[in-house]
Amino acid sequence: MTAALRGLRRTLDFLYLAAGVLAALCLIAILLLIVAQMVARWTGEIFPGAANYAGYSMAAASFFAFANALNRGSHIRVSLVLNALPKAARRWLEVWCFGIASAVMWYFTYYAYWFTFWSWKFNEVSQAQDATPLWIPQSVMVIGGGILAISLTDHLVHVIFRGDHRIKRDLVDQSFAE
Amino acid sequence: QEKWDLPMAYSGSNFHSVTGAEFAKCVTTGTGGDIEVTTHPSGSLFAGGDIKRAVQTGQVPLGERLLSGHQNESAIFGWDSVPFLVSSFDEHDKLYAAAKPHLNELLAEQNMTMLYSVPWPPQGLYFNKEVNSAADMEGLKFRSYNNATARMAELTKMLPVSIEAAEISQAFATGVAESMVSSGATGYDRKVWESLSHFYSVDAWLPRNYMLINNDVWDGVSEQNKNVINACASMAEYAGTWRAKEYTGFTLAGLAAGGMSVQPAGDQLMGDLRKVGEIMAAEWLEAAGETGAAILDAYNAQ
Amino acid sequence: MDELYAIALFLFVLFLLLGSGVWVGLALMGVAWVGMELFTSRPVGDTMITTIWASSSSWTLTALPLFIWMGEILFRTRLSEDMFRGLSPWLARLPGGLVHTNIVGCTVFAAVSGSSAATLTTVGKMSIPELRSRNYPEAMIIGTLAGAATLGLMIPPSLALIVYGVTVNESITQLFFAGVFPGLCLALMFMGYVAVYSWLSPNWAPKQETGMSFVQKLANSRFLIPVLLLIFVVIGSMYAGLATATEAAAIGVIGSLVLAAGQGSLNWSTFSESLMGATRTSAMIALILAGAAFLKLAMGFTGLPRALADGIATMELSRFELLMILMVFYIILGMFLDGISSVVLTMAVVEPMVREAGIDLIWFGIFVVVVVEMAQITPPIGFNLFVLQGMTEHEMGYITRAAFPMFLIMVLMCFVLIWFPDIAMWLPENMRQAP
Ligand code: NA
Ligand code: NA
Repeated sequence: MTAALRGLRRTLDFLYLAAGVLAALCLIAILLLIVAQMVARWTGEIFPGAANYAGYSMAAASFFAFANALNRGSHIRVSLVLNALPKAARRWLEVWCFGIASAVMWYFTYYAYWFTFWSWKFNEVSQAQDATPLWIPQSVMVIGGGILAISLTDHLVHVIFRGDHRIKRDLVDQSFAE
Repeated sequence: QEKWDLPMAYSGSNFHSVTGAEFAKCVTTGTGGDIEVTTHPSGSLFAGGDIKRAVQTGQVPLGERLLSGHQNESAIFGWDSVPFLVSSFDEHDKLYAAAKPHLNELLAEQNMTMLYSVPWPPQGLYFNKEVNSAADMEGLKFRSYNNATARMAELTKMLPVSIEAAEISQAFATGVAESMVSSGATGYDRKVWESLSHFYSVDAWLPRNYMLINNDVWDGVSEQNKNVINACASMAEYAGTWRAKEYTGFTLAGLAAGGMSVQPAGDQLMGDLRKVGEIMAAEWLEAAGETGAAILDAYNAQ
Repeated sequence: MDELYAIALFLFVLFLLLGSGVWVGLALMGVAWVGMELFTSRPVGDTMITTIWASSSSWTLTALPLFIWMGEILFRTRLSEDMFRGLSPWLARLPGGLVHTNIVGCTVFAAVSGSSAATLTTVGKMSIPELRSRNYPEAMIIGTLAGAATLGLMIPPSLALIVYGVTVNESITQLFFAGVFPGLCLALMFMGYVAVYSWLSPNWAPKQETGMSFVQKLANSRFLIPVLLLIFVVIGSMYAGLATATEAAAIGVIGSLVLAAGQGSLNWSTFSESLMGATRTSAMIALILAGAAFLKLAMGFTGLPRALADGIATMELSRFELLMILMVFYIILGMFLDGISSVVLTMAVVEPMVREAGIDLIWFGIFVVVVVEMAQITPPIGFNLFVLQGMTEHEMGYITRAAFPMFLIMVLMCFVLIWFPDIAMWLPENMRQAP
């Protein structure tokens, strides 16, 4: 039983980290695409659709990184009430927060799945020069949203059974956003 | 009693939005408040590119969209954007009559019905210098926003650069782009005379905006209200088309007042551009297949 | 009456979710969902995904992670030490002495970093120990640092301006240029305050610097060359029309990688840390933007923004009165929310109002940035206060009091912007007319 749980733990942690690394690669892709587009323009060449590919990479970089950002405490919340509460009460408020958040993300993932499915079914293609079949980039919403939903549920279970979540907040990390 | 939200892509003062707002008012009063239509201009509900799908899937009951934006999906949607196929409002009307049945068929397949449609003013060419032939255009940085405009740049040996609508003024001011194809209205709204000097009214094409309604919604409307809506729609189409013609003159005068040289293209330039048009028409026909051929045949038969 | 009830419920859910500590982006999605269910019979899920996809795959947004990444790279270089060494010889003789390195250092770093707290962290880690060892009054060190760091949001690049520009669909390049002079003006006002304080304060007795010859000063200035070069390349590429704001961000990332490599501080661990940090931070903002996009749509369906804009219009407020109301509103909001969240949360309602009143949206962006800058140093939630608490181990109350004069200067800045709008508008307008 505990071995199975430990295996699950390792698998989940690997999943969050791997998605985060994938997101980082997408960020590098954005950089390369934009540089390529710029250099192409300066040299009189054409790189059709570069802006759109950069946009898709942006979505991928965001969605794949959501869970990793959650685990490192990067996502902003108003923690005024949480910090003021005694420990026992805080646990129940955390259950509420993770419960709501998991519900929102599972809802999101469900509809993102059907949205992407219909893009594929309708054969929807990008309206710009790249003419990409849209279900391909849109599936990052399903995968990334799903991973965030899993991770929120993971924390929820942890709060219920262990009394606290597993988020480790990093102030330096967060300072780059404010 | 129902509430319909009507998303529109362009700013509230744009003549398409004004026409749409009148249509909404007409439906609201005409149906005696059975159907209350609220317009949401400036893409405040859905951005232009998302409106078609929003109507198609019933996220909104109806919406207005420039259908040629969806050419990648089906070349038929681009019937109004084949360069230099028509060169006046009258010729364009004939082409519209030829295309309409085929377009309606395609829209029906996508669970939508067209209520009315209003053209944009004809598209002209903007440059930062005098241009008398295709050779003068060679090497200029040309703002492209879709496949057709990029292809046009390619065929005239210009360099297509993609620039977001919001960045147009900036791009011309800083020389990121040196020319574009657009209606007089766009140039007027963006005050491009601050950085561009010449406008040639080549009447390259007249793209249209379409008021589309979801078929599930449409089927649920009573016969009486359908008649009201259709009557409002034909009034809107008439008024909108009139505005498009008026506005063409107004914006061209505005460009001239801003200090731009506004004139028809010279013979050499027009001849060069028509050659480009022939190539692109052939390419469009290839993409649009039998339906495309049927539209052109019907047009030529008139 | 039904509508009123629904709006009250809507607001209640908003405060409940945000206040109880649900992550801002997800709370906004939840509120939007409730609003849609209350006000329309449209399919909520599809609508949510359509807007969120459109907003999160936008090309203009790509400037965001790139500028964050640039800041992350520079944070891990010797930049702040070099800046102190290069700046201090010149500033030591000014009235107020080396406290000015806080302000000028923040101004310079603001020109390569898009965030306020990162500016604070980078400049502070160097200047606090140096200033303390020279016996400057502690409250002055802390206060000026907290205040001047907020310039990170105003002087381009600025995450707040990118987010604002994406939200109201205005040119980010124009917004960036609009921020330059107001940023410098604010910096001068901070410096003026320091000078006046040093004259008036009875216990101003810092250690005097041993004089440096002019040649030595010049020689020390070489430490500033790399960062000035970087600023020149990033801003210059935009001004010369070689690059859009997004492309300038890409140039900035490459420039800072080169700078880091030149200093020998670029290795695998700094590279991967900066990359992963930037990825997480931009994901954080992306989640808020996603929630805000859905909320904006839901608000559109409710008709609330338009009703409010119409209501304000019928009240016939003058431009000035409207701006005063908005200023107070944002200051209160800023006590509890971070700047980016309060911008995106309110824009759906505020944008139509401001457009209705005929206020230029570029100018208003700068005005909003000044106001949300204040949020960084107002309690109980002010990120610069948190960072300084971590760095100095002072009480929140002490830091807040030390930063309060800077807060007042920023309020003054709002009025300066209203009275002299050209401070913001001159540069973007003259860019537009450049050949
Ligand atoms: Na900055
Ligand atoms: Na605050």
